[in-house]
Amino acid sequence: MSRKVIPFIVAFVLICLVMAVSGFITFTGLTKAEKFGSEVAWSQSYFGAESMKVINLMGDDQDELFIQSTDNVTIFDGSGNILFSQNYDRPKTTLGDVNRDNREDVVVFYIGDSGFAVDVIDNGIVSTLAFSLDFTGDPSRVAVMRFASGPQIVLGDTVGVLRSLSPGGQELWNQRIGGAEFRGMDDALIGGQIHLAVATYNGSIAVIAQSGQVVWEASQEQTRRMRAFDLNADGNSEVITGGEFGALIVYSAVDGSVIHNESIGQAVSEVRVVELNGDPGAREFVVGGKDGGVWAYAFPNGSVNRLWSGSMSDKVTEISGIDINDDGKEEAVIGDEAGKVSVFTETGGRNNLDDHSTGITRIDVGRLNGEKYVVIADGSQVEVHKVNFTSLPGFQYTPLIVGLILSAVILIIAAILASIPQRPELKVSFQDKSRESLEAERRMLKESIADVERLRKSGEVTGDAYLARLKRLRGDLAENETAFKTAGFPIKVETIQCPNCGGTLELGMDKCEYCGQVLLS
Amino acid sequence: MEAFICVGGILLVLVLIIFFYLLNTARKRVNQTNTLGKKQLLPVYVSLADKPTSIIQGMNKFRTDVNKTEKAGDKWRWIPMLIFLAGVGLMLIDGVIILLGYFSFIFTVGGVGLWIAAIVMARGLRKSDSFDFSTRYNGTRDLFFTLRDDLKPGSTYLGHLDLTGSLLPTKVARSANDAQGRTTEYFRDEWLALKAKLYDGSILRVSGIQKSKKRKSYWKRSRISGKMKSKPEKFKGTEHGLKVRIVPNPEVYKIAKTSAEFKQGLNIGKFTVSQLTAEGGMISFVASSPFEDVEHENVLQVLKSAYSLLQRKAA
Repeated sequence: MSRKVIPFIVAFVLICLVMAVSGFITFTGLTKAEKFGSEVAWSQSYFGAESMKVINLMGDDQDELFIQSTDNVTIFDGSGNILFSQNYDRPKTTLGDVNRDNREDVVVFYIGDSGFAVDVIDNGIVSTLAFSLDFTGDPSRVAVMRFASGPQIVLGDTVGVLRSLSPGGQELWNQRIGGAEFRGMDDALIGGQIHLAVATYNGSIAVIAQSGQVVWEASQEQTRRMRAFDLNADGNSEVITGGEFGALIVYSAVDGSVIHNESIGQAVSEVRVVELNGDPGAREFVVGGKDGGVWAYAFPNGSVNRLWSGSMSDKVTEISGIDINDDGKEEAVIGDEAGKVSVFTETGGRNNLDDHSTGITRIDVGRLNGEKYVVIADGSQVEVHKVNFTSLPGFQYTPLIVGLILSAVILIIAAILASIPQRPELKVSFQDKSRESLEAERRMLKESIADVERLRKSGEVTGDAYLARLKRLRGDLAENETAFKTAGFPIKVETIQCPNCGGTLELGMDKCEYCGQVLLS
Repeated sequence: MEAFICVGGILLVLVLIIFFYLLNTARKRVNQTNTLGKKQLLPVYVSLADKPTSIIQGMNKFRTDVNKTEKAGDKWRWIPMLIFLAGVGLMLIDGVIILLGYFSFIFTVGGVGLWIAAIVMARGLRKSDSFDFSTRYNGTRDLFFTLRDDLKPGSTYLGHLDLTGSLLPTKVARSANDAQGRTTEYFRDEWLALKAKLYDGSILRVSGIQKSKKRKSYWKRSRISGKMKSKPEKFKGTEHGLKVRIVPNPEVYKIAKTSAEFKQGLNIGKFTVSQLTAEGGMISFVASSPFEDVEHENVLQVLKSAYSLLQRKAA
């Protein structure tokens, strides 16, 4: 093949490779220039938020910001003005429509003057639902359950006691699970019917029916988090638990069978559902670790698959799913104990928002005064952010541009290299083809061989130098014989070629002087 | 942080190596030296069995071809460096994008791709580079040119011009160990072998032989620290020999017993006649020179002087 063609063939292959990779990267959307930023709309001092939600709690058809700390419950309006604020002793809160007015109420489980009590805050008006309740530990969890038979307020303390109250405050049933603090209380679906899923710190997991009867119970390593979601919208929830020693277990809410069990290598500090891929038929969930690990999982075809993993700087304290760029897919906004807030995209790309001076405690999203805001609570204040998303238009096509540049350069290089003539061989032979000349050369070569033999006998040349010189002269002699044959002159062949090393030898030799090959046959 | 500095440092060193490699390609710095500090020359081997004009033309053409290849690459020498800088430019685009708050790596990947392309091209250009021709190449060609009219019409020069190097392992004639066990190698490089039938019927054989001596590297224990140290190889010297045999046409010449212009011990140019015999109808002598390089004029001068031993017979 022509020397001038080869560089172009190599260039063509390389260009095909480059363009294939560029096309793949472009059309799979692997490259995006996107950034998330935020501006603080307003902030208010608030210490140690434990629970926070943007929701309509007052009778004004506008969402308010509900927030609860270890000793206070406050409701801010959309501009940061306090609409309601009341101090409580060790309160735990939940939101639910207790009085069936189609508006959420705040349910507060706390220790009052007359013992354990439950308050309902409706439109800023506080009413005590129950008091002097029989609990021995501190309030731990409270949930408003919308059972088929009607709503129930389920209360849990730090020693594993559960009590269910009717909307009127009468105790419906009680149950004792585990004997330790409740770390999760969620509604779980079984055949479309709401049940109660609970988990205690000592590793007890239970699903309880509306009558208070335990449907199933399981135990595992110490549990830090429990959430129940119907991940595949089949009417049966999955119960996700995260352990103190890294166990991430997904149970079926129906019978407690284990769907997925893996160790993520660090204590699980948070689990939340985030609609990462925008497919409402299947929910994804994101898990945060105590050492800053972040993992995203999907639940296709009834099995748990890890989508990506990332990391934060410190213990993940909150995960929230927010569709920041209005593309129908939620981004995971994650806060950590070091005060960092990051936005993780569907593919796991991380974008940092402004840092906070104290650890992040809660993050939520909602509309305040008609504008979509992200509310971030840290150790000392609550900030309402306007989160923005910008991207460079057409950036996804840059791999194609880079590929074209690279291809052009490859083509130019191939053209230049093909234009350079081949370097001539450094062994040159000037040979006259006349018979006289060939015979004279033959004589000269034989004289030279005789000279080398003489030098060897006199000891002037020994060893490898003698053989190397002899090899070259004999090679020249073989070329001379070839030249004779090519020109059609008769010649008595006096050389043979070693079948092993290819060196030229004198005819009749029984052993190759260069490699030791025996030539007798 | 340490890992970042370590990786960054390694990358910086790599980039600098690529930069200087391409810069040297652009500035054509290929004057390499061998282990003994001698300049590398083009290793040419010319086999001679042709008429003087053909050989001289062939040698000129060979030189032109080598230069042509080199010159063809020369005009593109800065292109790899420009491609390298284009790669830096692409990476800077990523830098700007990152400064704007976005994350991008695609231009950096493209930049690295351009750097690889630049290295490939630089290697290709360097392949077209060649070392300088030895002065012996031109000298021998001039020698052939001078002697061309003295050749018998239609006859050819025979022999070889071996400029592949005088210190090749294949040219070690012998080696010897001294009392300390150090090995000294003795090289014998017959760089020129020439046989020609002259116009007057005489036969001329000339061999240019360079004999060199080199002590091989060895390990030695230091008397002070007691540590084993490697001593590098050392070039111990060289000398040049010109071995000539002239078989005069007995019908034309008789060989004189003595000549004031040519006798043993006589200095002719850079040569000294060290051996001389003029018996058996053949003049055979060896002229030695302590110089590493001898010009073709010196060789011609010696040959001319040797002819003073020939006396033309009366017609």
